[in-house]
Amino acid sequence: MFRYLMLAGLLLFLPGLGALGYSVYEGPSAWLTDARTFWGTPISLFVFWIGLAHAGTLLSAIFLALDIKLDRRTALIAELSTLVSLVFAGIFPLMHLGVIENFYMVAPFLDARGNLANARSPLVWDFCCIAVYALLSLLFFAVHLKTREIPALEKYRKPMAWLLFPLVLWVHTIVSLDFATTFVPQWRGAFFPVYFIVGAIFSGLAMVNLLACADGYRVRLLERLQLICSWLLCAIWIWDFLFKGYFCTSAFIFAGVLPQFRMVAAVRESRVGRIFLSLSVLIGLFLERYYLVSPMAGTPGEPGFGWIDLGLVAFSVGGFMMLFYAARSRLNDSMEGEGTYFGEVDGSDMANVEESEQFREKTHGLAFSYIQPWSSDEYKTLRYPLLAGFVAALLFVLWICLKLPFFRTPYENVEVTLVNVLPLVYPVIAFVAAVALVCKALWIDKSIEVGRRFYVSLTAGLALLAALAGAFYAGGASETPAGSFASAPLNVYNPADSAHMELVWKARCAQCHGVDGRFNEKFVREFYPVPQKLDASRIDSLGADSLVKVVLEGRVNMNAYRGRLTESEARGLVMYMRSLAGAPDEPDSAGEAP
Amino acid sequence: MGLLFGCRKLPLDELAGDLPSLKRFEDEVRLAMSQARKSLDLVKVPVPKALKIPGASIQNRFGMAIDLDLCDGCGKCILACNLENNVPLVPNADAERGRFMHWVEMRGNAPFMCAHCGDAPCEKVCPTGAANHTPDGLSAMMYKRCAGSRFCGANCPVQARKFNFNDAQKLGLARQFNKEVPLRDKGVMEKCSLCLHRLQNDRLDFKTRNPLSEWRGRGVKTACAEACSKNAIVFGNWLDEKSPLVRLTKNRVLYAPRELAALDPSIVFMRGRR
Repeated sequence: MFRYLMLAGLLLFLPGLGALGYSVYEGPSAWLTDARTFWGTPISLFVFWIGLAHAGTLLSAIFLALDIKLDRRTALIAELSTLVSLVFAGIFPLMHLGVIENFYMVAPFLDARGNLANARSPLVWDFCCIAVYALLSLLFFAVHLKTREIPALEKYRKPMAWLLFPLVLWVHTIVSLDFATTFVPQWRGAFFPVYFIVGAIFSGLAMVNLLACADGYRVRLLERLQLICSWLLCAIWIWDFLFKGYFCTSAFIFAGVLPQFRMVAAVRESRVGRIFLSLSVLIGLFLERYYLVSPMAGTPGEPGFGWIDLGLVAFSVGGFMMLFYAARSRLNDSMEGEGTYFGEVDGSDMANVEESEQFREKTHGLAFSYIQPWSSDEYKTLRYPLLAGFVAALLFVLWICLKLPFFRTPYENVEVTLVNVLPLVYPVIAFVAAVALVCKALWIDKSIEVGRRFYVSLTAGLALLAALAGAFYAGGASETPAGSFASAPLNVYNPADSAHMELVWKARCAQCHGVDGRFNEKFVREFYPVPQKLDASRIDSLGADSLVKVVLEGRVNMNAYRGRLTESEARGLVMYMRSLAGAPDEPDSAGEAP
Repeated sequence: MGLLFGCRKLPLDELAGDLPSLKRFEDEVRLAMSQARKSLDLVKVPVPKALKIPGASIQNRFGMAIDLDLCDGCGKCILACNLENNVPLVPNADAERGRFMHWVEMRGNAPFMCAHCGDAPCEKVCPTGAANHTPDGLSAMMYKRCAGSRFCGANCPVQARKFNFNDAQKLGLARQFNKEVPLRDKGVMEKCSLCLHRLQNDRLDFKTRNPLSEWRGRGVKTACAEACSKNAIVFGNWLDEKSPLVRLTKNRVLYAPRELAALDPSIVFMRGRR
């Protein structure tokens, strides 16, 4: 069964890959873009897949945190579907960029030029939140997977579920803010976060139900939840329609009307019927996202859905099926014996828990069955990592928002307020807390034995991260234009007189270094890092030759002037600099040929 | 074709293929004008004051006023802008859909361009900081920093931003009439720069000659203002009493598009006397 699904996925994936390649080559004009938004299919697909990506972990983590029993197989399927969906949710915003190689500029990371991402932009919030979410979901899944081998890990699952619970809601809120903070009338509204979260849970439930169907079993609880979600979403749609007068009829039919057939026993009891219900929800929600992103598509004068758009859909659907079932069969082999996947569904566990709870209530009374939140196990595990997270978030906010004189930040001249960084606060807390939790498990509690392989891969991962960071940092370095500017014969010996040098100094250098050779404070503080002080002792200690080289070749933040200044002009400038600094003339170097 | 030089692209004319003729640019402007939106919803706005963003100049805030009583909608400003800023042509498919690159377009029979809002929504959502505000009140673009997420375009209420869907240089649709303005690459956003290069040239020149006095941008004119035979487009410095902009907008009623009225636009329309 899984093999056939994988093959079907591959059949969809390969032509889809062609469409993806073509769109990367051709750029955003390849797919349908409407005159109003410039975005189109990739962003619809991003919202669709990020919605699916939220549901898996959301279900698994929330059910765990709230003590609702979900069997291991369903929980693991949900978590795995989250991870695989995240892969595709990550690809689409990346490939939709106009200049894909500049993607790293979205990360809030300083480069060599002192450029920084704009912390006010919802896209930057998105980038950070989704990155943290992906990391934590991976960790959650890995811990869950390993609990069979290392039972000590079970202790950390619930604290992690508590960390993930708000994060999922948070991330989807941020995704909705991509839309809700804009000026597009269809997208405005404070209800957007709720609307997106409901949509995400709805589509995720449909996905998990569909995957369960493929496994040949069903979880009635999730099916009921799917029905309830359809009611919630319908309520939001109707309210939105009454409020704004826009409506996506096809989405309403697929995701609003058809799911109600679950109430017909013949449909819900047959496997085909259940597959049909889940598929209809997924199709409806995709159409809904599509309509949301390109409201004008298909209207007269605007083109409709094209081959490339279909190809991109096929790419993600096929890729999901392929990757999901590949991971599923592989993990199945390494985890368990033949026949069973991720553990069997049985209710014995639940019955035991219920019995023991009832027994405790009978013997000790209700008061003993209730555990105070502050004395619960998961709180004790989580409190110090969480404290670390809060401290980190506090420092982060202070770093960005406070403009202290002794605490210079790149945000000094940017209009960043608390509201702008608030969206990043919880992801920072969750990230630091998760890292602290891992450190605690590994080195403080020593509950897990890790081998050398772990340390090797950790070191390799960190080294890779450092290399990437270095590359991104250097990505903002200035390019040396030497050789590209050859319109006139340069470097012709041309003794520089001081009146000419003064003009050159004022035109070329004074913007940063100041007319008087001390730096131009106003300009420099606004645009660039502070240049070196040009006092007499420093100029003398460096020597004229090395300064000429700096002028021509550039150094750190100083631009290279080769091609814009001749060598004799550079030498003249160094002499002019000396005279500004009040150093005595060096008679032997004055007028010397280069 | 071109070579990378700092953040500007220098063209190598001998390597470029057949460049589009001037006539094609004129034809495109005519086509765009025939497709122009006929309505423009204007509301009254106050005179622009100094910017409130951190680091803003208290001396300069450049802007324009378009006199609707004088403008006859001839469209000379569009062509002048295209030639000044090397705005490329678009392929036929885009032209049919009205997707031009023109920085100045006709709306309601008057020129319409980016209003350089003091509280610009496009700059707020730009993830990389490529769309930024200069201290002198221009909403500027750093083309090399642009990742092409098109978020700014989605967030502009009047769709003043244009996206380079096509590689105009490769398709032979771009021509560098003005060596001072770089050709833009495929995948970046662009829009009216308020002839930033003219302001910068004037500033460098002024600073070289009078290093100790304050530059107010006097005597600079944008290409569209220069091209207007009726002098309906007035460029100047909103904070300089001697600027033609301040003199000519005195006793006039200022208007801005309804969507922009709350965003503190620097480019306004004027009509009637007070």
